[in-house]
Amino acid sequence: MDTKPKILLVDDEEAIRSNLASFFGRSGFTVEIATDGQEALDKTSHFEPNLIVMDVLMPNVDGREALRQLRQSGNWTPVILLTRVGESTERAMALEEGADDYLNKPFDPHELVARIRSVLRRARPGQPPLSTASRLNSGPISLDRLARRLWLNGEELALTPKAIALLAYLMTHPDELITRERLLDAVWGWDYPAGTRAVDTRIAELRRALDDDPTDPQYIETVPGQGYRFIGTVEAAV
Amino acid sequence: MTEIPRSRWGFALGWIAFSALIIALLIDAQTDNPIVYVRIDLATLTLCTGVVILAAVVLIWRFKRGSEKQLQIEATRIQAQASDERRRFLRRLDHELKNPLTAIHAGLANLADSGSPETRLEALNSVKAQTVRISHLTADLRKLAQLEIGELEREPVDLNEILEEVFMVAEEDARAADRRLNLSIPKAPWPLPKINGDRDLLFLATFNLLDNAIKYTRPGDTIELRAFESGLMVTIEIADTGPGITDEDLPYVWDELYRGHTTRSVEGSGLGLTLVRAIIERHGGQTTIRSRAGQGTVVAVRVPIG
Repeated sequence: MDTKPKILLVDDEEAIRSNLASFFGRSGFTVEIATDGQEALDKTSHFEPNLIVMDVLMPNVDGREALRQLRQSGNWTPVILLTRVGESTERAMALEEGADDYLNKPFDPHELVARIRSVLRRARPGQPPLSTASRLNSGPISLDRLARRLWLNGEELALTPKAIALLAYLMTHPDELITRERLLDAVWGWDYPAGTRAVDTRIAELRRALDDDPTDPQYIETVPGQGYRFIGTVEAAV
Repeated sequence: MTEIPRSRWGFALGWIAFSALIIALLIDAQTDNPIVYVRIDLATLTLCTGVVILAAVVLIWRFKRGSEKQLQIEATRIQAQASDERRRFLRRLDHELKNPLTAIHAGLANLADSGSPETRLEALNSVKAQTVRISHLTADLRKLAQLEIGELEREPVDLNEILEEVFMVAEEDARAADRRLNLSIPKAPWPLPKINGDRDLLFLATFNLLDNAIKYTRPGDTIELRAFESGLMVTIEIADTGPGITDEDLPYVWDELYRGHTTRSVEGSGLGLTLVRAIIERHGGQTTIRSRAGQGTVVAVRVPIG
């Protein structure tokens, strides 16, 4: 029996498909390829991938539309979207339509494989991932991702949009060590010199608001020299 | 919108004054005890008034048409300037891409031909470095485009904190060890007021300026980061005793991808100052640069308080 995870790779660029497919193969995955959203939907039903890696900008049915149709049909196969523009709106859309993670082009293929592995680890077969929930709870914390609002013990906290987006990303990836560079890429949409300091500033803001002691954290743990990890138990609010 | 030249305004005002004077004289002449005695009958008065009004109408029409023409000329000039800038930008972009691509070609040739593991590793690292370089370029271009249309995430920003942080990062830079770095922020009678802005962008703008100063100075040079409140603005200045910028380069330093003639060898995307200007302008502020070749440079950014 083939126990290798099956990945469906969807991109309209031949050069990207062929190079990534062979990289995925060497990383221990079985790969199937689709060139646009429609083909991706067709292949999902018979290839039954464990995960779909899909570009957003494609001819005919684009990645966003394909993802919407997939979720509407009740299919919760994990999806990683490859976005071309680092726009926050595009990332917000990825959230609304139920992508499990997203990565800005251009990216390092090693990073993509690391993301695939962590999404596969998190995935609960047949169930919606945390990243599709609009409201997340962790103990006394309640986060409305779409409205970008946060409550602690029922009381709303005033936070900057960046801090809330950062918390949302951490809470949708619980127990996962996330590097500051990745947070910068995911939440800010771009990397810049000394930019990781911006991440630290927002983490400090979150900790102040949540009254989370960095030496004995309940929610956000610092992994020295590497990044941060959300250690609270996260549940999707029903 | 372009301004209507002052001479035209003067001309029109002169005409109106002259016409008013004639009408006043004619009306005056009709009174029982005229100041200026002019003998005139009602028909002549009507005729003269008619002529004056007609002249005024013709004048206003010509005036309007003239300013429209002026506007058109100005619009054409702006258009020509924009397409000039676009051509320059494309030429520079082409140049910026050509170099890393040439290096990648060479690296790939070495990878394909060479049997020695050292050469292969070297080629591989070089290709990697060049792709990172192009990635940074596209990231900066994207950020610039986003700055033009995207919303700023405003919050009350403590500039004291940002300046201290930027200074700290700069001090950690290995190149800063042999340069004299000074930070001067007012503490008395009160610290710098808060700015309503995007903290991360203001940090980036200040960081880029200080990083530039470090990049373009020599060991032993002095760099000063200073800020002060002036009226309704806060001014941040980054001054250095570096080699300065030539008069030839100075007008273009804010342009996208512009590289000075003497600084081509210094690493960078050529978008640092363009980003600074875009960020400061989005905050309703201004940027200026003064430089003397052989003496140094001072870049000033002014952002409104509030």
